Amino acid sequence: METKLEIKNLNAWFGEKQALKNINIKILEKSVTAVIGPSGCGKSTFIRCINRMHEVTSGAKVSGEVLLDGADIYTSMDAMDVRRKVGMVFQKPNPFPNMSIADNVVAGLKLLGGYKKEELAELAEKNLKAVGLWGEVKDELKKSGASLSGGQQQRLCIARALAMEPEVILMDEPTSALDPASTVKIEELVKRLKEYTTILIITHNVQQAARVSDMTAFFYLGELIEFSETRDIFEAPKNALTERYITGRFG
Amino acid sequence: MRVISRKMTDRLMKYLSLLVTVAAITPLVWIIASIISNGASVLSWEFLTSLPKPFGESGGGIGNAILGTFIINALASVWSIPMGVAIGIYLSEYDRGSKLGAVVRTAIESLSGVPSIIFGVFAFTLIVLTVRHYTALAAALALGLMMIPLVAKATEESMKVVSEDVREAAIALGIPKWARTVKIVLSLARGGVLSGALLAFARISGETAPLLFTALFSFFWPIGLDQPMATLQVMIYNYALSGFSDWVSKAWGASLILMLIVLTINVAVRGVTRQKYAEGT
Repeated sequence: METKLEIKNLNAWFGEKQALKNINIKILEKSVTAVIGPSGCGKSTFIRCINRMHEVTSGAKVSGEVLLDGADIYTSMDAMDVRRKVGMVFQKPNPFPNMSIADNVVAGLKLLGGYKKEELAELAEKNLKAVGLWGEVKDELKKSGASLSGGQQQRLCIARALAMEPEVILMDEPTSALDPASTVKIEELVKRLKEYTTILIITHNVQQAARVSDMTAFFYLGELIEFSETRDIFEAPKNALTERYITGRFG
Repeated sequence: MRVISRKMTDRLMKYLSLLVTVAAITPLVWIIASIISNGASVLSWEFLTSLPKPFGESGGGIGNAILGTFIINALASVWSIPMGVAIGIYLSEYDRGSKLGAVVRTAIESLSGVPSIIFGVFAFTLIVLTVRHYTALAAALALGLMMIPLVAKATEESMKVVSEDVREAAIALGIPKWARTVKIVLSLARGGVLSGALLAFARISGETAPLLFTALFSFFWPIGLDQPMATLQVMIYNYALSGFSDWVSKAWGASLILMLIVLTINVAVRGVTRQKYAEGT
């Protein structure tokens, strides 16, 4: 497999406070990488540096390189283009409450313009099918996206991200606000999606990391402590901190 | 003992606030009741749709004044609402504590504190003195200036409360700032913007002083925007002070119509606001 993302000497700050310290990591194409670690360890900041969302916060700063297929997203790409190639799913499902279910899916494309009505309808159907939501909502596509259940809303948000045909999808604890049944659906979806995209998923649930990911990155106090195959991390962690975290002795 | 006195205080507070509320509402009810009892008798289809008759003849109506009020309000709205919305968008979405933002904010604050007659004098000096006759356009300028701060404030406030979650979703999709602002944030805030605009419209419907300096009055149907124009407000002012019983009763009728217009708008605002909350934004 090819390297999709290469991150070199990445540092990030909120004002004076350094949130990430010298991160170096290579993410392979069509893989799922779980990002784990205790609260405040820099997981969210890390993935938000990959779609340039970190800089949206006022006072936030970044240094280092994030290479997407070899091109630095900070120096050789426009932030908007980066975000179209690197999609994001948030902790709390956030469909646009002023748009219908169908419009939510194609919101990004519609607002960019240049798509015909039929094309948008087709893309809405295709992406709702991809997240397994089509059967549940096909008769109420005109209803508000906010009318769905939490789990359905989250899958709608994934469909919305997929509609942009991203090369990488970042997920920031996508199941932490969901019930167990919805969580299972999202996890299965993650496994299906890696056939054609590269996924980074933050999770507070180490079992979830073990279930869905190929690789696991453990962060602690802004540093990348350990990064290797998920099986190795769980069976034979090299670092004592990693072992203590995954066995639930702190966090 | 203590329990009893606590309960007493409790009851005292309750009746005191009830008393004050009643005292505050009484004049309002009184005004509405006297307008209805004095005004309802003159209402008729003719009253609403025809021109005033020459003095001394009975009959006639206030059709030209109703039409004039709507024309002038509409003219004031078409330029000031977009401007107010644009200012609100700037303050909510683009200003990051800049000097310009502080200046705009201060200007908006001051503008909303200026007595309405000043707007009339301003439009009088700027337009009426230049073209040397009273004109509805000057009235639209004066009233529009009064609407701007109300619309700008309502827009700014209702856009600011659009949740960070939704904004982040839009940023993460790579949607450009202008599209996020207009198609997502403004669209979600539209209930608040609309009620602000309606309240501003209702507010200027009651203004008389600026009209005396600008549109003045006419006994005829509006013939052009650059001409003097009748309005309900000035008609009430003229007729009520005339001392002729026929005109005084017509002033009551015109007051009733004006009150109904403002009341209708306020009810519409409540409808719009309720819808906004129902959407769960």
